[in-house]
Amino acid sequence: MTNYLIRRSFQMLMVLFFSALVTYTLLALAPGGPWEEILGRQGSETMRIDAEDIARIRAQYELDLDQTWRFTRWLFGWPNGPIRIGEQELLADFQVGCFLPLETTNALGETVIIGCQKPVTLKDLEGRRVSRGVIFGDFGLSWGILRDRPVMDVLWSRIPRTLQLMFTVTVLSLMIGIPLGLVSAIRQYSLFDYTVTTLSFLGSSMPTFFFGIILILIFAITFKQWGWFYLPPGDAVGSRDYVVPMLGKVEAKSLLDQVLRMIMPVSVLVFFSVAGWSRFIRSSMLEVLRQDYVRTARAKGLRENVVILKHAFRNALIPFVTIVVFAIPGMFSGAIVTETIFNWPGMGRLFIDALSRNDYPVSMSIFLIGAALTVIATLIGDILYTIVDPRIRLS
Amino acid sequence: MTASATPAPKKVVEILQPEAMPKEESQFTIIRRRFFRHRLATFSLGLLLVIFIAAVFARQLASYGPTEIELSNRFALPGSVSAESGRTNWLGTDHLGRDYFSRILYAARISLTVAFSVVILSTVIGSLFGAISGYYGGLVDDLLMRFVEFMLTIPELPLLLIISSILLQSPQAIPIPKALIDLVAALLYLGPREALQVIMVTLVLTAFGWLGVSRLMRGMVLSIKNMEYVEAARALGVSDFGIIMRHLIPNAFAPIIVQASLALAGFVITESVLSFLAFGIQDPTPTWGNMLAFTQSYMFEHPWLPLIPGLPIFICAMAFNFVGDGLRDALDPRLKH
Repeated sequence: MTNYLIRRSFQMLMVLFFSALVTYTLLALAPGGPWEEILGRQGSETMRIDAEDIARIRAQYELDLDQTWRFTRWLFGWPNGPIRIGEQELLADFQVGCFLPLETTNALGETVIIGCQKPVTLKDLEGRRVSRGVIFGDFGLSWGILRDRPVMDVLWSRIPRTLQLMFTVTVLSLMIGIPLGLVSAIRQYSLFDYTVTTLSFLGSSMPTFFFGIILILIFAITFKQWGWFYLPPGDAVGSRDYVVPMLGKVEAKSLLDQVLRMIMPVSVLVFFSVAGWSRFIRSSMLEVLRQDYVRTARAKGLRENVVILKHAFRNALIPFVTIVVFAIPGMFSGAIVTETIFNWPGMGRLFIDALSRNDYPVSMSIFLIGAALTVIATLIGDILYTIVDPRIRLS
Repeated sequence: MTASATPAPKKVVEILQPEAMPKEESQFTIIRRRFFRHRLATFSLGLLLVIFIAAVFARQLASYGPTEIELSNRFALPGSVSAESGRTNWLGTDHLGRDYFSRILYAARISLTVAFSVVILSTVIGSLFGAISGYYGGLVDDLLMRFVEFMLTIPELPLLLIISSILLQSPQAIPIPKALIDLVAALLYLGPREALQVIMVTLVLTAFGWLGVSRLMRGMVLSIKNMEYVEAARALGVSDFGIIMRHLIPNAFAPIIVQASLALAGFVITESVLSFLAFGIQDPTPTWGNMLAFTQSYMFEHPWLPLIPGLPIFICAMAFNFVGDGLRDALDPRLKH
């Protein structure tokens, strides 16, 4: 077991390192960035900017450093100055980048970099702003959503809303999905079973965004036009009071307002998770019901309820543990599409907003944290599996 | 082996196949019969055929061009006749006065081409890698499967979105042969820039699509490769390549085909999600996803709008799923749940 844990943790770290590398490479490839906006704005004003100014702006975003050092600074905040041993500074003149590249125009009229006018050395890095490093939870500064504020601040402003949504969804869909799967397994091929399997088939093949839009169409638009009880179409809290027939006046930011606004996004997500989970429980339950010990329990003359709940259901839940653990990373990264449709101010929509405004540090951090949580969840799921099912030995 | 040593073949056939025996059916006939027994799958297949034909003859069926704008005729009701040009807008027009019916047809061409290209590419790549990995085992298998596992651990949609948003803005990142761009442009009636977008989206989706196929194929190959007929082929001196191509891949193909038809549904949806979120194929090139995205801003005044591009996505996704279900029943009755 210890051996297994060590090996798995090592694998986990490797996966995380590679995710970070992939993330960083994409970040480096990413077009645009805050400097372009600054350059565009200043170029059009009375201000004239020369090569030195551009270099300073580039330096502000570390674009003057070599990729390798940018990566290590981004990952764990090193190097941040010359190596010090006692009083002595080592490698102070070691070049880590180029502050002002030497540019020239080639025969094709393209600008090419042929050398470096003013290199950046380790000594120059001293006193520069550096993030503590991604692995210590410092994701640098945002480029667009909240410019020059730490990415973590941006994330923290959205995390509660996503957790609120996803927690409700997970609890509700477990409460609905497990009994549905259970009953449709016990009454296999009954009308109930057919209804559940058809609905879950629908749930797994229907696109989320279409379902969400249909809900808005029915419950927010059509019902409102007909003067019936309707639901607000988006956002997490209202900014103005509104009147809903049969319910009266709903104050903005009141609990009722928030509950009304949660109904549609929650229903969309619950529908889709229930589809998956009830199907899983059903097949796992059918598997268990065929086992010898269930027949033995019946043969002993136990009541059917006891057989199903105590002998079959408990065992059917075992593989379910791993699936439920996977809901954790989902809770963090939210539901990108659903949050976008219902304008829910959570992580999913933040991700899309950040992407469309070229705020790559924010979108990459969301991605990286999501990946890290997924990897950790996989490990936890595997370990839990051995705890609840002693038949499985990890090796 | 002289001619006298072999008995007259005609007699043997007569003895083995008396008149009373049922007529021999080919494998294909059996599969076809089993498939058509699945009524929803048959219906879906018919529906898809209609959509395909409409997509193939988009230019002949559509009365408007895919990006033709009639600003005087915005938000026309379905079935109304344009006062300007006298043509009928069967499904109405959008916020720029573009005819929905024509755009839906052209979009079908694009969306279905993307979905089919992705599925074909990822099935070919995935089967090949999976078969090699399963057949040779050892280091190749280890490396390939670690890589696939790694990719499958990473949340897919966010990474897809990041990559396509980057590629959209710097399309020169991946060099694409000009001939391919021209081919796609001609096939989909697009300009070279839009064709490049379509190719990018296809490539990005394929990059993730082959992973699952390769895992499935590897599993199948592992269970097949020790069977007697493979051993017999090896004893006869068939090369590894021959065994993989002639014996392993064809025999593992049933689940792959089923998976491919289910994947078609998945990619129709994924492509439209990308376009819907504005990280796929961009307006004015029509796709069901980006058309749906635009309707969302106008749905409060014109509530029927989202249904027009939304229903084709829904219908296609459902139909591909049902066909996949029918194929599963037909190809491998043991797989039936």
